[in-house]
Amino acid sequence: MIKLNDIVVKFGDFTALHNINVQVREGEFFTFLGPSGCGKTTTLRTITGFIEPVSGTVVVKDRDITHVPIEKRNIGIVFQSYALFPTMTVYDNIAFGLKIQKLKKDEIDRKVREIARKVDLSDEQLQKAVSQLSGGQQQRVAIARALVTGPAIICMDEPLSNLDAKLRVQLRNELKKMQKDFGITTIYVTHDQEEALTLSDRIAVFNKGYIEQIGTPNEVYNFSKTEFVCNFIGDINRLSDEVAAKAGLDLKKHNYVRLERLHVNVEPRPGQVALPGTVTMREYYGLYIKYYIDIGSQTIKVIEKNDGVRIYEEGQAVEVILDPADVMAYEPKAEETA
Amino acid sequence: MNQTLDRKLRPELLVRLVGVAFFAYLFFGFMLLPCLNTLTSIFNTKNAAGERDPFAVIRFFLAGTMGKYVWNSLKLAVLLVITVNVVGISIVLLTEYFDIKGAKILRLGYMTTMIYSGVALVTGYMFLYANDGIITTALKNAFPDMNPNWFSGFNAVLFTMTFACTSNHMLFLRNAIRGIDYNTVEAARNMGANPFKVLWKVVLPTLIPTLFSLTVMTFITGLCAMSAPTLLGYDSINPEIVRLAGSSSADEAFPQARAALLSIILAMFTIVLLTVLSAYERRGHYLSVSKTKARLQKQKINNPVANVIAHIYAYVLFIIYMTPVVMIIIFSFQTYSAIRLKKLDLGHWTLINFFGQQDFEYLTSRGKYKTRVGSISGVFSNDATLGGIKLSFILSALAAALACVIVVVAVNYMFKKKNKGTGVILEYALLFPWLLPTILICYSYRTFFNSNNVWYVGNMNLYYAQNVRFLIVMAYTVTKLPFSLRMIKASFYSIDEELEDAARNLGSSQIGTFLKVKLPIILPSVLAVFALNFNALFTEYDMSATFASTYGTSYAMVIQAMCAEEGLYGYNVNASGRRCASTVFIMLVSGLILYLVYGVGSRDLGERLEARDRRRKFFEKLSGRKNAKKEAS
Repeated sequence: MIKLNDIVVKFGDFTALHNINVQVREGEFFTFLGPSGCGKTTTLRTITGFIEPVSGTVVVKDRDITHVPIEKRNIGIVFQSYALFPTMTVYDNIAFGLKIQKLKKDEIDRKVREIARKVDLSDEQLQKAVSQLSGGQQQRVAIARALVTGPAIICMDEPLSNLDAKLRVQLRNELKKMQKDFGITTIYVTHDQEEALTLSDRIAVFNKGYIEQIGTPNEVYNFSKTEFVCNFIGDINRLSDEVAAKAGLDLKKHNYVRLERLHVNVEPRPGQVALPGTVTMREYYGLYIKYYIDIGSQTIKVIEKNDGVRIYEEGQAVEVILDPADVMAYEPKAEETA
Repeated sequence: MNQTLDRKLRPELLVRLVGVAFFAYLFFGFMLLPCLNTLTSIFNTKNAAGERDPFAVIRFFLAGTMGKYVWNSLKLAVLLVITVNVVGISIVLLTEYFDIKGAKILRLGYMTTMIYSGVALVTGYMFLYANDGIITTALKNAFPDMNPNWFSGFNAVLFTMTFACTSNHMLFLRNAIRGIDYNTVEAARNMGANPFKVLWKVVLPTLIPTLFSLTVMTFITGLCAMSAPTLLGYDSINPEIVRLAGSSSADEAFPQARAALLSIILAMFTIVLLTVLSAYERRGHYLSVSKTKARLQKQKINNPVANVIAHIYAYVLFIIYMTPVVMIIIFSFQTYSAIRLKKLDLGHWTLINFFGQQDFEYLTSRGKYKTRVGSISGVFSNDATLGGIKLSFILSALAAALACVIVVVAVNYMFKKKNKGTGVILEYALLFPWLLPTILICYSYRTFFNSNNVWYVGNMNLYYAQNVRFLIVMAYTVTKLPFSLRMIKASFYSIDEELEDAARNLGSSQIGTFLKVKLPIILPSVLAVFALNFNALFTEYDMSATFASTYGTSYAMVIQAMCAEEGLYGYNVNASGRRCASTVFIMLVSGLILYLVYGVGSRDLGERLEARDRRRKFFEKLSGRKNAKKEAS
C-alpha cells in the first residue's frame, strides 16, 4: 500500500531522517511512535507532501508520488490543532475539499451530510462556527473533513494531544472504531506509548531520525529490539551487575526487566532468583500498587496487581522474585564501551 | 520531470521578479533617494558671491539664529512628557484602578480625543479659549482686567497638547493595567499594604515598560508637533520647516538648506529615541507568571479626604475634556449671529452650519450695504469645504488601501520566507519610514519631485498642478506602512500554520489557499488597519500643510483656513459655524469607524452567528406577538 524507500530529509545541515524504510499494508492502523524531535512527524509530512525528501521515494499503490504536489496526492490528514478554518462554519469546513473538486452543489450537500452522520455530527452542529464546538466535536469535524473527499489513506498527527485525559481515552476508542468502520489505511503519529499500544496494528518506533523497530504492540513491548525501545515503551528496571551476576546473566550486556514481570514474596519456581530487600516507598494506584524496593545494589520497581494480594508497608522486609527468562539484554553501544 | 519543474518555476519566478522590482522601486524611489537628496542639499549652499560653500548653513546654525526652533521643540517635548504622563496616568488610574463614582461616564469623556485630534481638536480649543473664544469672552465679562490673549504661544500649545495626546495612554496603559493579575494586589493587601502602597510597589512597576514606550512616543510627538504650534503661534521646528519650504532664496538666506538641516536634526533625534526604545523593548518585559489570572477589582480609597480630592480631580479633568466637545456640538446647531457673539441662543437652533445656503449682507468700505448671495454656507454646501472633504476622502481612502495591500503582500511573503534574508530586508525596508519624522519625508518629496529631472517617474514634476495629489497619496501611503506592517504582521501570527497545510492537503492551490483561508482570517485586522489609517489621514494636517497648493488643499487645510478672519467683504462668512459643524462631522466619522473596528469587527464567526440567532429569535417573537394581536382582535 504505502512504501517509503530510503527516505532522507535534511533541514539545512541537519539530517532529520536517515534512510527511512517503512511498508504499510492496506487497511492497517500504523503508528509512528517516538519522543519529540525524533522524525515521526517529518516522516508523516513527507508522505503527505509538505516536505520533499532529499533522496528516496514515496510509493502509494505502486505509484511513485515523491514529487506529486500536495493537493494531488489524495491523502487525508487530521492535524494536531485540527486546523479547522475559523472563518467558516462546520459545514463549509467539511465541504471545502469537495468545492475545490468542483462537485455539484447537491452532491456536496449529500456527501457532507452523509459523513457528518457517520461521525455523529447533527445538522444543527453543521451550521455552527467551529469555535462553538467542544474539543471532541472539533475533532470529529477534522476527521469528517479529511475523510469526505474519499482519500486512500488518512494521516493523523497527534490528534488527541489537545484533549483532557478522560476525553482522550474516550476518543481513542471512537477513533479505532471509526477506522475499522471505514476500513481506511491509517498512519498515526503520537509520542504517547499507551495510545500507540492500544490503537495500532503495527508500530514503528523512531529515535533521532532512525527507525529502531517495527512490530506489533506485543513485539515492541515484550521483545523490544533495542535498548532505546525498551526504555521508551513502558517503565523498566535496568539490573545492576550484582543482580545480573546472581541471576546468571551476561554481564557484558545491559539487562532489563519490566516491572510487572517481578513479584513480591511469592514462592520462587525453579530457575527463578529471590532478591531480599526493603520497601522504601509505595505508590497506591487503585488498579495496581507500585513498590520501590531497596535490594542493596539498587532500588528496583515492582508492580503488583491489586487483586487481593497482601499490601506491604514502607520499611517492611520483602523478597523480589526475578525470572531470568523475562530479562531483555542488549549489547552496549560502541561509544559507551569506549 | 525537468519540464514540469520548468513550468512550475516560470510563473513563480516572474511573480518574484515583479515583486522585487516593485519593492525596490518603492524603497529607493519613494523613501531613500528623496531623503538622501534632502541630506545632501544641506551642503549645497552658495555664499553671497554665488560660490559653492558647503558649510554655510552649518555656520548659520551655529551662529544661533536657528537654535531657537530646536530649543523650543525640545522644551515642548520635555514638558509634554511630564504633563501628558501626569494626566494620562491619572485618567487611567481614575477609571481603571480606583473606585471613582461614574467611572464609565468619565472614561467616555477621557476618550473623546480618540474621535477628534490634530487640527480639528486645536481649532476646537481655539473656539473656546482664543481671545474671542466662548470661555475667554465669558471670563473677560467677569474679569475685565484679564489678558484676553492668554491662550497663545507656548502655554496654549502645552495646554492643548497635554489633553490632546493622552489617547495612547487610554489605549495602551489601560490595557496594561487591565492585564495585571489581581491576585498580586490581593497578596500585597493581605501583607498589610494600603491601596497607594500597592499602587506604588506592585502595580506601577509592572506598568513601567508601557510607560517607557508612552514616554518616548510622547517625546517624539512633542518634538514633531505641527498643528498646535502652527495654529497657536509657537516657533518650533515643524512649522518653521513648512515656512522655509515655501520661502525663496530671494527673501532670505538658503531657506531650503535650512529646512533640510532642521528636518535632519529632527530625524536624528527620532532615530536616537527609537533606537533607545527598541533596545529597551528587546531587553524583555516582566511577564506574569500566573496561570490563573484574576480580574482586577477597583480599589476603594478609604481615606475620606483623599477620596473626595480624587473625585474632584477626576471631574475637573472630565470637564476639561468634555467642554470643547459639548460646546462644539451645541454651537454647530446655532445661528451665525449666536456664534459670532459667542452667546448661546436657546431659541434658535439650525442646521445652517451643515447644509445652509443663505444670503449675507455686509457693509462695504464706502459705507453701503451689499448682499452676497448664498454666502453663509454649511459644510456640505460650501464648495471649498466640500472640495476639501472630497479630496481628503479620496486620497486618504486610496492611501489607506494601498498601504494595506502592499503590507499584506509583503507580510505573506515574509511569513513564507521566515528566517531568510529577503524577508528580513523587506521588513526593514517597510519599517524605514518609522525612523523618519513625517515632515522629513514630505519635505523631501516636495523638494525632490519638484523638478523635471527625476527619471524614474518619467521626468514629470510631481509637485506641479494635479500631480501633487499623486505625491500626497504616496506620502500618505509611505508614512502609514510601518504602522500597517506592525498591526498586520501581528494578525498573521494568529494564522495556524497547519491551516495552510490543511487547505493544500484538501486540494487548494497556493493562491486559492491565500484567498479562501488566510485572507478571511486576517481580514478583520486588515479592515481595522484600513479604517484606522483612513481615520488618521482624513484630517491629517502635517503632510497637508507641506503639500498645500491649489490642487492639494485637503480637509485639514480647509479647516485651518476657517480660522482666518471671517465675514470681511462677505467672504469666508460663517467659517466658525462651519468649523464647529466640521468637527462634529469628523467626530461622527471617527466614532463610526472606531465602532466598526472595535465593536463589530472584533467579533469572530461564532459571535456573529450567535448575534444572528438572537436577531432571528427577536423578530420571531415580534411577529409572534403581532400574530397573537391579530388573532385577538
